[in-house]
Amino acid sequence: MNWDFIFKYLPLYERAALLTVKIGLSGIFFALLIGLVCAAVRCYQVPFADQLAAAYIELSRNTPLLIQLFFIYYGLPKVGLSIKPEACGVIGLAFLGGSYMAEAFRSGLESVDKIQWESAASLGLNSAQTLGWVILPQALSTSVPALVANVIFLLKETSVFSAISLMDLMFTAKDLIGLYSKTTESLFLLVVFYLIILLPVSVAGSLLERRLRHAGFGD
Amino acid sequence: MPDLGIEVLFKGTNMLRLLQGLWVAMRISLISVLISMPLGILVGALMTVKNKAVHAVFKVYLEVIRIMPQLVLLFLVYFDTTKVWRINLSGEAAAIIVFVLWGTAEMGDLVRGALVSIPKHQYESSQALGLGRLQTYVYVIIPQTLRRLLPLSINLITRMIKTTSLVLMIGVVEVLKVAQQIIEANRMTTPNAAFGVFLVVLMLYFVVCWPISMLARQLERKWS
Amino acid sequence: MKNLSKLAALGIAGTLALSLTACGQSTAASSASQSAGSAAAAPAASQSEGSGQIYRTLDEIKSSGEINIGVFSDKNPFGYVDENGEYQGYDIYFANRLAEDLGVKANFVSTEAANRVEYLETGKVDVILANFTVTPERAEAVDFALPYMNVALGVVSRDDDVIETLDDWNADDSIIVISGTTAETYLINNYPDIPLQKFDSYATAKEAFQNGTSVAWANDNTEVIAFALQNSGYTVGIPSLGSADTIAPAVTKGNTTLLDAINSEIEALGEENFFHADYEATLLDTYGADYEDALVVEGGKTAQ
Repeated sequence: MNWDFIFKYLPLYERAALLTVKIGLSGIFFALLIGLVCAAVRCYQVPFADQLAAAYIELSRNTPLLIQLFFIYYGLPKVGLSIKPEACGVIGLAFLGGSYMAEAFRSGLESVDKIQWESAASLGLNSAQTLGWVILPQALSTSVPALVANVIFLLKETSVFSAISLMDLMFTAKDLIGLYSKTTESLFLLVVFYLIILLPVSVAGSLLERRLRHAGFGD
Repeated sequence: MPDLGIEVLFKGTNMLRLLQGLWVAMRISLISVLISMPLGILVGALMTVKNKAVHAVFKVYLEVIRIMPQLVLLFLVYFDTTKVWRINLSGEAAAIIVFVLWGTAEMGDLVRGALVSIPKHQYESSQALGLGRLQTYVYVIIPQTLRRLLPLSINLITRMIKTTSLVLMIGVVEVLKVAQQIIEANRMTTPNAAFGVFLVVLMLYFVVCWPISMLARQLERKWS
Repeated sequence: MKNLSKLAALGIAGTLALSLTACGQSTAASSASQSAGSAAAAPAASQSEGSGQIYRTLDEIKSSGEINIGVFSDKNPFGYVDENGEYQGYDIYFANRLAEDLGVKANFVSTEAANRVEYLETGKVDVILANFTVTPERAEAVDFALPYMNVALGVVSRDDDVIETLDDWNADDSIIVISGTTAETYLINNYPDIPLQKFDSYATAKEAFQNGTSVAWANDNTEVIAFALQNSGYTVGIPSLGSADTIAPAVTKGNTTLLDAINSEIEALGEENFFHADYEATLLDTYGADYEDALVVEGGKTAQ
C-alpha cells in the first residue's frame, strides 16, 4: 500500500467528497420536499395532481439517473437552456429521489390505522392539522428506515455524475486508476470517504428510528 | 424536430444487441432478486431476535454492504478473489454474488423495520387466541409484514435493474455498454446518435421496470 | 450498542478492503518474481497444473486454443464494435493478426481505462491491446511490448477565440479532456494549474465542447484536426503539443514467454509494413493520409 500516493491525492478526494456532499444533500433536500408533496397529494387524492404525481413517480423511478442526467445536461442546451453541471446534478437527484421518497412516505402514511384519521376528524382537526400533528409523526416512524435507505442510495447515486463531468468521488477514483494504475490505493481512499459520508447518515438514521418509535410497536 | 440519430439502431444487428444487453441486465437482476428475497426475509426475522450477538453480526453486515460502493464490491469479488484465492469468476457470477449480498442486506433491513412496526397487540391477541409462536408468525405477522413490505421491495428491485449498468466495469456487456458501443461506432457518420439511442434505452428500462411496479401495486391492493 | 456495531462495520469494511487488496499486491508481486518458496506465494504453490503463475504462458495459451485480449469496445477507430457485432479498429486489426500467427482464436474482452491493469494482474486477459499509452507508472504494474503507434496531442478551439498557447492560462477558462486519454495525463503533468473539464466518452466531450462550456478541447492531434475539418467554426490552434508518447501492447508482469512472442511478432510484421496497412484499413477514413507516417510505428522502432 503506497501511502505516499494516498497522501498526495487525499486533497483531491476531499474536494470530491465536498462536492458529492454538497450536491447530494441539496438534491436530497428537494427530493424530500417533492416526495412529501407527492405523497400528500396522492393520500388526499387531489384530482389531476394525483394522476400527475403517479405518472411522475412511475417515470422517474423506472429509468436510470444516468440517462436522465444526460438529457438534462446535453439535451436542454439544444433548446436554449444551458445549465451548470452542479445544478444539473441537483435537479437529477431531486427528480429521481422525489419518487423514491414519495413511495417511502406513502408506505408510512398507509401504515397508520384508519382510526387515527377518524379520531382526529371527530376531535375537530382539519386536514392540515391531522396530517401535521397526528398522522405524519406516526407515519414517519414507519417510513424512517426506507427514508434513510433512500438517502444513502441517493448519495451513492452521485457516482453517475461522471457523465456530466462532475468530479465526484467515484469519477475521481476511476480517473486516478486510469492514470496511475494504483487501484488498491485509489479504491481504498474511495471506501474511506464513502464511509466518512455515509456512516454518520446511517447512525443518525438509527437514532432517529429509535427516537420516533411509539407505544404501539411490537417490541 | 432535432435529429436524434435513431437510424443507427436500424443498422445491422444493433437493435438486437441492445435487447441482448437488456436481457443480460434483467437476467442478473432477476436471479439476484429471487435469491435475495427468501434470504432477506430470513435475515430480517433473525435480526428481531433478542440475542445481542446475532443482532450485532447482521447489523454490521448490513452497514458494510450499504456503505461500500457497489463498484468496490464488484472489483473485490471479480478481481481480488482471483488475485488472492485463484478463483476465476465470470463477470456475471461476480455481479450476481454482489447483488445478492446487497439485496439480502436491504431486504433484511426492510423486513426488520416492518416486523418491528407491527403493533404489540397483534402478538398479544394471537397468544390470547391460543396460537403458538410459529403460528403467530405464519398466520398473523408475516402476511401483514409482506403487505407493508411490498412497495418498498419493488423500490429495491427496480433499483437493482438500474444498477446493473455498473457491471460494465467488470467486463459484462449490458444494455448501457451496448448503447455506448453503438453511439461511438457511429460517431463519424451520425454524431447525434447519442440522443436517439439513449432515448430508446430509457424506454427499454421503463418497459421492463414499469410492469414490475404495476404488478406490485396490484398485489398491494389485492392484499389490503 | 447499535453505534458500536456501526463502528465495528467501519473497522471490518476497512480491514476487508485492506486485507484483500494487500494480499492481492503480495500475490501479484510474488508471481512477478520467478523465485518461489516465499510463504506469501502459497496460492501459486497450490496451483497443480500449468506454470503456477496467475498469467498464462505462451504454451498454455496455444494449447487452450484461444487468447484473451482486452480491448476497448467503444473507442472508434481504435477498438469498437460494428453493426454486425464484430470488433473493429486499429488495435483489433493487429489483435486478429497476432492471434492468427499464434495459431489461436482471439477472444475479445471489453475493458475500460480503469480496469486494464486489473485484468492483467488477475490473468483474466493475456494481453491488453486497448490503446494503452506507455507511462512509467504503468510500466511498474505491467510489462509493455514494443510500440505500434505514436501519439501526439493537439488543442482545438473556436474560430472567434483561437487558443495558440497554453502558457499564461486564464484561470477562469477550462479545457475539455476525455478521462483516461494521453491528453489528460499530459496536461496534469505539465500544466497542472489549468482547470480541466473531464468527460468519460468522446460523445459527451464533443457535446459539451459544442455547447460551449469550455474554451478548448485537448485530444490526439489526429482527432482534433479531424473534428475541425468536420465541424465548421473551429480551429486547431495548437497542432502539436508535448513530447511523443507511444502505445504498446501490455502483458502481465513477468509473462516473458508471451512478451517475447509479441515482440518478435511486431518485429516480423515490420518487414511487411503491417501497421501501415493497418492504418490504411482502419484509420485512413477518419484521419486522412497526412498522419500515416507520423502515427504508425513499424517494427517497434520509433523515430527517435
